[in-house]
Amino acid sequence: MLRKTILSVMMVLMLSGVALAGYSIKSMTPEVKQALDGRKERFSELRALKMSGAIGENNRGYVEVLKGASNARSIASEENRDRKVIYQTIAEQNGLEGALSTIESAFAQVQADKASAGDKIQEANGSWTTK
Amino acid sequence: MLIRYSSLIMALILSGCTVKAVGDPNRPITINAHVTIDIKGLKDTASNIEDYVSGKEEKLPVKGQK
Repeated sequence: MLRKTILSVMMVLMLSGVALAGYSIKSMTPEVKQALDGRKERFSELRALKMSGAIGENNRGYVEVLKGASNARSIASEENRDRKVIYQTIAEQNGLEGALSTIESAFAQVQADKASAGDKIQEANGSWTTK
Repeated sequence: MLIRYSSLIMALILSGCTVKAVGDPNRPITINAHVTIDIKGLKDTASNIEDYVSGKEEKLPVKGQK
């Protein structure tokens, strides 16, 4: 009876395509390593720009320039390029090629959760709030 | 007897099995596959990566690498 139930649950999970193993970067390619290293290197600078209100976290998993700062635009551009590489790598290495927007959205939610007090966050409805 | 009728039945089946293409031949047919995504698993992965980027975690768990 128990064996039958376990087998049924496993069959349902397999058929529904639920990934029990979770998602990860399975292979550290030179591109994703460069993207991660780039993000680590600019983290402090990005943090300072977030604290000043020049950059905020949008609801699509990327940073956005909210007010004019000399280097904000270039930092945001580099940061978003690296994030895209990471998101695409996760999609490619976990069989989620058609779900890039879901991956971006999951990262956006995590960024919002981890944001410090005073950071600008874009809500799901598109409005900007200060955490 | 059986062979005679089986030929007739086969002829009827074959005549009823004409496959017709429906739709515009110039436009490819798209089949949408259903994929269930574990959102919590995805958020855990995102959290690990963001902790690594911020320096909160020293190592990023990479499966398949020692």
